[in-house]
Amino acid sequence: MSSGQTIALITERPIRAEELVDFVSAPGHGATAVFVGTIRNAHEGRAVKSVMFDSFRPLAEKRLGEIASEAATKWRARVAVAHRLGRLEVGQVSIGIAAGTAHRAEAFEACRFVIEAVKSKLPVWKQEHYADGRASWLEGCELAPR
Amino acid sequence: MKVQVELYGRLRESGAHLVELEVKEGATAAEVLEKLKTSLGPKAALLKGCVLATDGAVLAPGEKATFQKRLAALPPVCGG
Repeated sequence: MSSGQTIALITERPIRAEELVDFVSAPGHGATAVFVGTIRNAHEGRAVKSVMFDSFRPLAEKRLGEIASEAATKWRARVAVAHRLGRLEVGQVSIGIAAGTAHRAEAFEACRFVIEAVKSKLPVWKQEHYADGRASWLEGCELAPR
Repeated sequence: MKVQVELYGRLRESGAHLVELEVKEGATAAEVLEKLKTSLGPKAALLKGCVLATDGAVLAPGEKATFQKRLAALPPVCGG
């Protein structure tokens, strides 16, 4: 989903931060803030081998677009966000966010807004797969209506 | 009437990705989730914190659900 000021993708493809940065760049922008979320090798004392991301895709695409648009409007930013689905190994990128604005304060705030909104509003779930062969769905935030 | 409800996240531990439920015409989201709870039997605890959604919105508990084309039960989320 994209508008003139935003791109919001739910994808199975690898995420490249440089592509997100390219999208949000503009002659009037003096600041670009980037967040890249990667799979780490441990969680609550357990060795993680991989994480599987599940999603209710139609609602996820709609909501991710709304989150990006809200950030773009609120901070007069160009915003690019991509969330990857499927099974990811340690070190791989699960989410990339870039926000381009005139000044740095707005870029940081827009970028932070998007990741926090993703964590509380996007219909995506993580199942961690551990070195001992077990797997576990992580706890999360209850979704509000609408 | 019969409705199909897609299951996501930890709800897939129930062993199903899709369940078919018999509900009354005009059933609300809460009523559909209650039927789902019954159908899950010993796995009903998986529904804690779950909501019912269409492909465009999360339904409020009192909102009618049976007129929607697509229904999904969604656990608490943790993307990113």
